[in-house]
Amino acid sequence: MNTLYINVKLKRDDFELNTKINLPAQGVTVILGPSGSGKTTLLRCLAGLEHPQHGIIKKDQSVWLDTRTKTFVPPQKRNVGVVFQDYALFEHMNVQANVGFGLDRFQAQSKVPEWLAKLKIENLAHRYPYQLSGGQRQRVALARALITEPELLLLDEPFSALDSHLKQQLREQLLEVISHLKQPVLMVTHDLNEARYLADNIGIMINGVLQCMDKPSNVFNYPASLDVARVLGWRNFLSVTSIEGCKVNSAWGSIVLAKEPSIDTAWLAIRPEHIKINTQHASIDAELLRVMELDGVREITCRLIDGTMLYLQRPWNALFPLPGSWLKLEFPVQHIRMLKECVSPQSHKQILKNTRDILAMQNTSGDEAQKKTA
Amino acid sequence: MTSATASMDLTPVWISLQVSALTVICLLIIGMPIAWWLAHTHSRLKILIEAVTALPLVLPPTVLGFYLLLFLGPNGPAGQLWVSLTGSPLAFSFSGLIIASCVYSLPFVVQPLQASFETMDKRSIEAAWTLGASRFKTFLLIIIPQIRRGLLTAIVLGFAHTLGEFGVVLMVGGNIHGETQVISIAIYEMVEVLDYESAHKLSVGLLLFSFVVLFIVYGVNRQWHRQRLA
Repeated sequence: MNTLYINVKLKRDDFELNTKINLPAQGVTVILGPSGSGKTTLLRCLAGLEHPQHGIIKKDQSVWLDTRTKTFVPPQKRNVGVVFQDYALFEHMNVQANVGFGLDRFQAQSKVPEWLAKLKIENLAHRYPYQLSGGQRQRVALARALITEPELLLLDEPFSALDSHLKQQLREQLLEVISHLKQPVLMVTHDLNEARYLADNIGIMINGVLQCMDKPSNVFNYPASLDVARVLGWRNFLSVTSIEGCKVNSAWGSIVLAKEPSIDTAWLAIRPEHIKINTQHASIDAELLRVMELDGVREITCRLIDGTMLYLQRPWNALFPLPGSWLKLEFPVQHIRMLKECVSPQSHKQILKNTRDILAMQNTSGDEAQKKTA
Repeated sequence: MTSATASMDLTPVWISLQVSALTVICLLIIGMPIAWWLAHTHSRLKILIEAVTALPLVLPPTVLGFYLLLFLGPNGPAGQLWVSLTGSPLAFSFSGLIIASCVYSLPFVVQPLQASFETMDKRSIEAAWTLGASRFKTFLLIIIPQIRRGLLTAIVLGFAHTLGEFGVVLMVGGNIHGETQVISIAIYEMVEVLDYESAHKLSVGLLLFSFVVLFIVYGVNRQWHRQRLA
């Protein structure tokens, strides 16, 4: 059963949020999207901090927002816990006062120590926010939001204020806290790893529109369109010019797929670790441009004959020909994903522009590379 | 000497303190919403209102006093309204003095408040709302502590500036003993009649008072700044 139903439209200057979500009754839902895609605005709508022009928000039986009947439940009455980006702690109050702010004095007396203990911050009770580390601030913010036993917990980029070396450890701690909650959690982030680590469900938001919502493995492995795939960190895209049955043709060559692609297939995508080199079936020509050492892997950048850039990953000790030499590539059919063009017209334009920029850049850098080799 | 002290009339001091205190209270009530609006609005009217509130800073007090006199006088709109409501004239009265002082000291209260409202953390207000705090509770427990340095500055500047006003008071309040004669005017009068001793006493008193207040304010502000709580 779905407990939270959202269908809102909010227009502001040059931005429009237009989103419909059914949130499961339990578990962590992560909305992933580039910055400026409207994730935070969505959270603010739920918390009652924004007034959408059109829409409905329902939690169980209660209506929080219905613009047709002019219903608007103010943030004070929604009982939603919010952990703000940068946490928005009350800087002039100590930890104990921060955590107990949402309760009356009598309740606070018994519950504040309990929640400080739950989040292992008892020893910080009398400290002020400016005396805390990023991770400690996060836990204070969590305790403050959870102590009122909210019906819904909202997390806005909970790790963005932290140093990267702390993130992994804090991710585990956060997971430990929120995985035991009985209420649903909605978190927004632009960080793939956070989403993958914490989510029971992932939604992708682009330009104010929610593109899909599914289990992480489905979302990550089967992106439906080019813009969604980009948000999910896919980097290898091959344009499709024409389709003949199972065969796909383009300027970079042609390939026979396992099944006939749907008529609106505009791109093929493949992960860097799935591309094979110089195998028996390899048929696509590519020039090796450079080899880079990354975290435990070697990444190879190749250029196809039409200028498309591809990235391959191999174990750190794999051997390669020298930059400048030509390879034959194989794209195993089971790892090829067929993508539609972008879903939202706005992002479509943006990506066409980006592609043009990338092509222009590649041409110039290619020229430079040729000059260098010459 | 003792007889001079005994005979020295301290009524102007008392009137000055009353005018200053009442003016500051009125200005906080009027100035808070104006400052909040100026700090948050995107309206084009903002520049206009900002310029109008800053006007008393640059206008000669006599010019301000002159127009206030016309406005508050028995033939002016405010003066007529006041007469029809209370039966007594507004110009050259204690009430008229308060109104004039409010206009005169408005920027000294609005500007520090506006600066505080602009720099305060707005998300902490929203955080308080999501935790169930009413707007009043949020104002009291979240907003006031965050703007307290600006608030203190506004109160002290508003008070001190009203205490020291001369031109406007003379134009609007006149020099009615026991009603509108404030310290600065009393000193002026004493000097005119060559009573330097009394003039000295009042002046030194005002000087010391102003200095001590400013000293305390700067001390408190520094303390708050150290605590990084403002």
